[in-house]
Amino acid sequence: MQRAHFTIAILAIGSMSAVNAHADDAALHAEIDALRAEIAALKAEVRHIEEEHGTGNVTPASAPAPTSVSSAPTPQTATAAATTLWGYGEMNYNHPTARAADAQADLRRAVIGFSHAFDDATHVYGELEWEHAVASAEDAGETEVEQLYVEHALAPDYGVRAGLMLVPLGLLNEHHEPTQYYGVERNFVETAIIPSTWREGGVAMYGNTDFGLSWNAGIGTGPDLGKWDPASDEGRQSPLGSIHQELQLARARDPSLFAALNWSAVPGLNVGGGAFTGKIGQGADFAGKDARLLLGEVHARWQTGPFDFSALYARGTISDTQALNLTFSGEPTPVPKAFWGGYAQGAWRALAWNESNLSPFVRYEQFNTGAAYATQPLGLDTPALPTEKVWTAGINYYLNPNVVFKIDYQDFNRDDVALGYGNRFNLGLGYQF
Amino acid sequence: MHARWLIPIGVGAAQAAHVAHATQYMTVEQAQRAAFPQATTFEMTRADLHASALDAPAGWSPRIWQARNGNQLLGWFFADAVIGKSEAIDYALALDANGSVIALEVLQYRESHGSEVRLAPWRKQFVGKTIRDPVALNQDIKNISGATLSCRHLTEGVQRLLKLHAHALLTAPA
Repeated sequence: MQRAHFTIAILAIGSMSAVNAHADDAALHAEIDALRAEIAALKAEVRHIEEEHGTGNVTPASAPAPTSVSSAPTPQTATAAATTLWGYGEMNYNHPTARAADAQADLRRAVIGFSHAFDDATHVYGELEWEHAVASAEDAGETEVEQLYVEHALAPDYGVRAGLMLVPLGLLNEHHEPTQYYGVERNFVETAIIPSTWREGGVAMYGNTDFGLSWNAGIGTGPDLGKWDPASDEGRQSPLGSIHQELQLARARDPSLFAALNWSAVPGLNVGGGAFTGKIGQGADFAGKDARLLLGEVHARWQTGPFDFSALYARGTISDTQALNLTFSGEPTPVPKAFWGGYAQGAWRALAWNESNLSPFVRYEQFNTGAAYATQPLGLDTPALPTEKVWTAGINYYLNPNVVFKIDYQDFNRDDVALGYGNRFNLGLGYQF
Repeated sequence: MHARWLIPIGVGAAQAAHVAHATQYMTVEQAQRAAFPQATTFEMTRADLHASALDAPAGWSPRIWQARNGNQLLGWFFADAVIGKSEAIDYALALDANGSVIALEVLQYRESHGSEVRLAPWRKQFVGKTIRDPVALNQDIKNISGATLSCRHLTEGVQRLLKLHAHALLTAPA
């Protein structure tokens, strides 16, 4: 009950937050004086209530206050409460045309996100995710904390974050809700090369400038090459996806650095890029101990009228893998020295009515998760993998901006049954709130 | 029991003073002066229109001023708030006497994601818009990639204020 009361009260404060700090100084001061007197009285009552309820850890000083100084008691409920929930989810159906027996329907993910404002400048953000519907010892599902970080604004245009954060590379990793991208499945480049949803634990600074440059740079954990499994296909599916740590008892001997820039001074246009680098041996005494990862990407997106164009290129290298790969001789999946991918995509909002729209799109991508391997002694060289090329064409039907039905067809230049690559059509449902 | 509701309000007032500056770009007064440099008075007024008539959240109640130079009406100034992704964006809209947008200002932005809506080139898209324009994202207002929710909600807010002005404030010139 007490919590409910607080929530209502918080809503009431939030409701006044639009009211400006300095609009009416005299009235404001009078009000603050009155409030001071009330606070003193109320503090006493809070202590009394806490004693009654044994909730000594709740003090007025730590109570959420997501508001600026309120200068007039104008009711405005179009504002936020201190704690808010959001969420998104997607259900997909994949039907390989040549292997209908492999058709699969999956509740791909259900996510609950939350944020809480400690004050105007300090927030905590979190996302809790369930994948594949059921997670237990016998099931394939996963449950995971996808993000969990505290953010503190130091000024209106920059601040600091700490915790488990999304790596700010590419167009999709930080904006991965199903309503944000075209096609049932996320594109291959931003799953195989940039392993979305990629997150690391660490500290970062962020900000944006008056001339339209957003920046984000930080230091944190990185992948762990010690996890590489040369017997598995995972490293071929996504080299970094197979060795990411997701802050799960992450081995953290070697810090990684990342930085990203995005320029959006022209409405509708975004041009950006980013890089991530760090040693990934994590100090362990094994043949890959000196390996260093460097992953870079550049991207552009242009939304104009009913059109939405985007393109991205990403390339990664892992150094000092020769000795490690020698220990993997005979195994199917050595560590690549280079991997890359790129795509171009165009979408057209062909029909729009009320809140709905129908947007056909087409995307072409090329990617290679084993574009080069470290040279080995005579006869032991690993040949580069062939480059995969995929056309995807389909339609996003937005019932409203937050609910999307998707259908598409994907044409692969080369089948790879182990990785699920082969011509297929897909159906999907996604939402966010 | 009712008194308890006031606790966070009091605390909020006390705390806000030292955190507001970290997320505040502009005050209402600064935005008023920037939009109407020749105004001598800003007279607070009310609109006789319910939130439900404009598809607004219940309780929506922007503050409204008439900007005047002596007896001459220069235009209208609104201070309102919309939700970005999960936090309120405080913004101000200035219209000239005919209801055409003079300026859109972001006063306070509390979350980091989507804060690109504060960028001048994006806000300038609204200048000159009237009730006769769609004022809709991805139509006459372009999006900022990565800030879609803030762009959409702010655009909807401006559209709502234009309707409010046209339906409840714009009277036949004397």
